[in-house]
Amino acid sequence: MGEIKLMKGNEALSEALIRAGCDGYFGYPITPQSEVIEYLSREANARTGMVVLQAESEVASINMVYGAAGTGRRVCTTSSSPGISLMQEGISYIASAELPCLVVNIVRGGPGLGTIQPSQADYFQATKGGGHGDYHMIVLAPYNVQEMVDHVKLGFELGEKYRTPVMILGDGALGQMMEKVELFEQMPRKTEFPDWATTGKKEGIHRSIITSLFIQPEVMEQVNLRLQAKYREIEKNEVLYQTINCEDADYIFTGFGLGSRIAMKAMEMAREKGHKVGLIRPITVYPFPYDIYKEFAGKVKGILDIEMNAGQMVEDVRLAVEGKTQVEFYGRMGGMIAGPDEVYEYFEEKFLGGK
Amino acid sequence: MAKSLGDVIIDIEKCKGCELCIDSCPQETLALAPRINQKGYHYAVKVQDNCTGCLNCALVCPEAIISVYRKIVK
Repeated sequence: MGEIKLMKGNEALSEALIRAGCDGYFGYPITPQSEVIEYLSREANARTGMVVLQAESEVASINMVYGAAGTGRRVCTTSSSPGISLMQEGISYIASAELPCLVVNIVRGGPGLGTIQPSQADYFQATKGGGHGDYHMIVLAPYNVQEMVDHVKLGFELGEKYRTPVMILGDGALGQMMEKVELFEQMPRKTEFPDWATTGKKEGIHRSIITSLFIQPEVMEQVNLRLQAKYREIEKNEVLYQTINCEDADYIFTGFGLGSRIAMKAMEMAREKGHKVGLIRPITVYPFPYDIYKEFAGKVKGILDIEMNAGQMVEDVRLAVEGKTQVEFYGRMGGMIAGPDEVYEYFEEKFLGGK
Repeated sequence: MAKSLGDVIIDIEKCKGCELCIDSCPQETLALAPRINQKGYHYAVKVQDNCTGCLNCALVCPEAIISVYRKIVK
């Protein structure tokens, strides 16, 4: 049993970074994730010697992450939607150079400079690539403060296993809300670095070169093939999801992150009124759990997807069910959060033909 | 009308505009300010001088940034 605390999402995530033995954090403050850099600059260096640096911009911070990741260290950056957009070039470079790092996106309402309220409108950007070129990040979607902590550890592990950038796709509400968390034990910082790390050419050791520039198209194609093989491997092995009350369900609610929390409450309301509703919550949104939706597509009468955007994950759900069942979508945009009662009303209207 | 017996002081720079205090106030003493704080949130402010010092806002505040003062009348 780890230490139990009442913490704000952003602070819990920062504490998890320190405890996961993170070596470097490079970031730039932006509401609603400013508490991360505030907490880390107050706590981190004194406790583990971790480097915490406020860069001059998001572009600079992701390139600092690129450089530090090249040395085999555990590195991280965090930002919110407009900042993550600025980072896309760097993330693409990191994916191409096959380096592990953790990028945390505490999503706020967009498009543009948008609002500072919670949203999930960065799903496409996070899961379909975001930057240029054929690449993916492993994307973890926490739904409570506890998972903000657990996914830090999991994210570092997955990133280092596959040498790929990992994103935690939170949202403004998860960053700001206070909840009970169980923290894991302090892990030591790494002292041994992998073979590919640029730790200095010494006598009898090969030269490590980190680059994302391959002028010859034949070489670039090989890099792409290697990346794609890696993504197929990830899609095969690392899919995570949670199902609740699905065994006897006639209808399924679904959503990721905060959307799934709203769906959970709406599911309870539906169960109270005697409707058999279950819930599927993807924990990794890339790789997306297509198979579980496919499995239930033939068994249920309908799936209702709840998100805080105009309908992004619903496209993946529709792909997965292959038209075998009715898929409906309910979402609010721009920083507004749907209430469980309005979700339930929408469910009644679409699937039960009104009251 | 009874004179105000309480007063509420909010650390506006730490407020995230969650509105829980506003919903919990039986007197409608609090509201969101039209201005924003340094982080960009509309913060809670006292808009009426009718606080009874009931403490609801301070108890419900997730950031624990509301102080309530109560005058004891004998």
